[in-house]
Amino acid sequence: MSNPGFALGATLYPLGAESQGPEECYARDMAEDLSAMSDAGFSLARVLVSWKSIEPQVGLYDERALARLAQVVVSARSRGIRTIVCLFADDRQAELLDVVWGRRRDPRTDRYLLQREVALVAQVASALRSESGVFGWQLANEAFCAGFTSAADLEEWTRSMREAIREVDPDRPITLGIDAETFFRATGIDAHAAIATCEFAVSHVTAAYRAYAADGPSTSGPSTYLDGFLLRLADRGMPVLADDVGPLTLQDSPAEEAAALRTALWSGLANRASGALLRRFRDFDADHREPYFLDPFETLVGVADASGEPKPTLQEAHRFLSTLADADLRGFESPPERTAIILPAERYRPLPNLAGLFDPRACFSAFIGAKEAHVPVTVVEETDDFGAYSVLIVPSAFRLKNKTWPRLVKFVQRGGSLVMSYGGGDAHAAIRELFGIESLGDGGASTRLSCRVAQDGALGEIENFDVRFDVPNFALLTADSATVVATDSSGSPLLTINHLGQGRAIYVAVPLERAIAQGDPWATPDPVRHLLREVYGAVARAAGCGAPVACSAPEVELALFQGDVEDALVLINHSPVALDAELLTTRRVDSIAELDGGSPISVGGTRFLVTLGANGAVALRLAYS
Amino acid sequence: MAHRSPASLLGETLAREGRVAPAVEACYEALASQEQDPLLHAVLAHLFLADGFYDEAIVLASRAIELDPDCAPAYLALGLAYDRRGGLWDQSILVWQELAEVRPDLVIARVQLGEALFAAGFPDEAIEAWKAALQLDSGASRAMYDLAVAALMREGVATALPGFRRAGELDPSQDAFFFSLSGVSDDGVPVPDPAVVPEDRDARLSAAYALAFREEYFSAAELIREILVGNSQDAEALALASFLYLKQEAVNEAMAVALRSLTLSTKTPAAVYVLGVSFARRQGLGHSTARVFSALAKAAPEHPMPRVLLGESLLSLQRFSDAKTAFLLAVKLDPTCVRARFGLAAALLTQGEYAAAQWEIRRAAYHDTRRQGLFWRLVDGYTEGRSI
Repeated sequence: MSNPGFALGATLYPLGAESQGPEECYARDMAEDLSAMSDAGFSLARVLVSWKSIEPQVGLYDERALARLAQVVVSARSRGIRTIVCLFADDRQAELLDVVWGRRRDPRTDRYLLQREVALVAQVASALRSESGVFGWQLANEAFCAGFTSAADLEEWTRSMREAIREVDPDRPITLGIDAETFFRATGIDAHAAIATCEFAVSHVTAAYRAYAADGPSTSGPSTYLDGFLLRLADRGMPVLADDVGPLTLQDSPAEEAAALRTALWSGLANRASGALLRRFRDFDADHREPYFLDPFETLVGVADASGEPKPTLQEAHRFLSTLADADLRGFESPPERTAIILPAERYRPLPNLAGLFDPRACFSAFIGAKEAHVPVTVVEETDDFGAYSVLIVPSAFRLKNKTWPRLVKFVQRGGSLVMSYGGGDAHAAIRELFGIESLGDGGASTRLSCRVAQDGALGEIENFDVRFDVPNFALLTADSATVVATDSSGSPLLTINHLGQGRAIYVAVPLERAIAQGDPWATPDPVRHLLREVYGAVARAAGCGAPVACSAPEVELALFQGDVEDALVLINHSPVALDAELLTTRRVDSIAELDGGSPISVGGTRFLVTLGANGAVALRLAYS
Repeated sequence: MAHRSPASLLGETLAREGRVAPAVEACYEALASQEQDPLLHAVLAHLFLADGFYDEAIVLASRAIELDPDCAPAYLALGLAYDRRGGLWDQSILVWQELAEVRPDLVIARVQLGEALFAAGFPDEAIEAWKAALQLDSGASRAMYDLAVAALMREGVATALPGFRRAGELDPSQDAFFFSLSGVSDDGVPVPDPAVVPEDRDARLSAAYALAFREEYFSAAELIREILVGNSQDAEALALASFLYLKQEAVNEAMAVALRSLTLSTKTPAAVYVLGVSFARRQGLGHSTARVFSALAKAAPEHPMPRVLLGESLLSLQRFSDAKTAFLLAVKLDPTCVRARFGLAAALLTQGEYAAAQWEIRRAAYHDTRRQGLFWRLVDGYTEGRSI
């Protein structure tokens, strides 16, 4: 039933209730849960290894504990579910890593414990070597890795564990199990190098990161885009699994939980996730724990209640998988994104440099802006190769590396389009050549933003406006070779375009994306959002990588999967209100049909209307004339 | 007083000016030599809090409290960071209790403590905290809104409505709206002396509005009386007269005079406002109130207050969906409007949207505390205390 293109699964935690002790890991028969998962179309499960249970004494392995783990894997396989075995996870409940003989030693750096860990990995991998139900290996989880104090230690540990697995299992994929972005935010450690040694990556919306980047209701506003944003950031050329998807707060209603999961799953599909793992299958049967309204360690809430009764979230996951299964997207291909948002390298600088705090938020704002313009977009690091892209967006960076400027100049000269917004402070000398402007300094903060269009149609349908909107800086400019597209109310350039070589460089004189992120992102004035959408949309359109299908509703995220004779179009409503979206295609559409087998509806043109429910998602098959 | 380095003072000055980046830089520079200064940590926490970096604010404010358990501004920053971060209500409760002990006169500590207790599932204790806040300051409209929301959740609309009405009456922004309709604002000009106001109508009216703005109602009423002696059909003067009656709790007179003003001229939105508010204070006039505020919303489409008033009147008519629409429009017009967010929360609660309602209350608290400038008042008090 499951679609091989997108695997969905859930974590099977070793303990199901607070009344159980650590020695009871996987003592409960998991067959009921696995059957329910199989019925819902799940094809993945994650199991957690209990070091404490398996190696109760140094060098002495408890065969029964190993057998219980293997039994879960076998039981899953018999139901068509493959397993990711997580070796060193701290699940906050089962004391998985608390080997009594290893007390007061740090399992991440202590040489003796490292040897024991390598031996454990070898033991577990050997026990499951011939088990075809194992899909791959996860080395750790974020709770465990958060104890590392340096990137070098993390990389070293990752290498050791990988080698231990590869001694026994040369083929099956390995992941470290942490999201580089959220991990950096939590610990200040850059895990990119360690993750790069693995075969697949994960993205993970943690509660802490959500509070940092997209506080607010889970079914509206920025938080609905966060899964997609982190997926794009985690995508470094290897498959990415959206990890620990599902409700974080205990405050949402079941309907809101289902709506949030729907958005996360469809958004995952639209943003190139290879699959998703739900946070937990069955609720942890915990004592009533006022006053928490957040799942404190993100390990309590599942898609079935503690008695195994499915919640609306499980039904939602089932619906998602059914649609995908019937659709069979194997014949379709999503064209590569040619627009990229650049996450500046200054993001990795520690406090008191504020870029580390502001830049990811500004990039996230830019990501939402591009999504609202329906531009297929990804996120890259400043040091990445820009060769694959036609449009680059640098949102409100304080300072780029000196080496980056000549690369940007070359990018534009070779035909690329660059959109950069002023980040404050001194402008780099290269802006003169690149943007054809002269910097006259920083005009400072303002509580209002005005736009006066000087060149109609030069950058989409931008409009005049005056709004109350806090901007932290305003670059005072004079245009040299650049064309002034819009000014503020005093006539100072707000938007400029410069033609350089075969490309164009667009400069925005205010840190627009940062201002959106730092203000109240749920109350950004419409004209400001419109300005950002129009600039991004127009630049991408002119570069030939704009919206694949024009859509009248900015709240709708869309993704086009191209087939030989038909295309598949996924539409996701990021708003909690139902809406009608008018779509305009470049090719004449003969008929549309729901991907999961709905009867075709004749269109006979390039324009048609789609109704989307609150937080609704629709997958359509477009048949062309 | 402990010696404070130039970098520390510079950091504080820049922070007061809202220049976050240079302020952070200066504070960190100062920290390098004065790591033991609690105020530096508190100021940094405040800066991070202002930009929504809650985790950083929590770390710094906690350190400030560790260094000095009497550092009131640090408690404020820490409590707000916990509240805005969400989900950490137990820590939040402790912090607000500590602040209430350190500064027993601080109303906001009681209000926030109540909100944290309520969110944590201790409604009785929360109500006690809000009542304590109202005892400290009977004009604490947020505490009254919180009580009304609690009543709505526990006992239903009928019990909650008087609370919402009372909270609305305590809200100073409603008077500000009345004066903005007449183009009066706090321009810093001293209050005119009624004895030396020129004897022409415009000068008297202008002076009367200025006096009313400063809550000198009797002097304003005297000037209005003189205008009306000259021309009893002056609609604008009657509009102000109706407001003055309203402020003196003479609701029937206010209603009658506002109606008289509107009979003479339909282009006096100030009279429409007074009529609506008067209707709202009388039982059984809910439909008329809603109609009047609907007209006012059309007359002042850019202002959130008529939408708020309309929403509240619709709430009292139990037209919850329409009320929600009105409050949503008010929030859209002014995202910082605390009253609109509380109204929206109430409308959402009536529709069972608890999570969304809690979110609106959190946003209301966020905007309420941001606009108060309380942190710097606490800093001033703290530095004075340290210098003694």
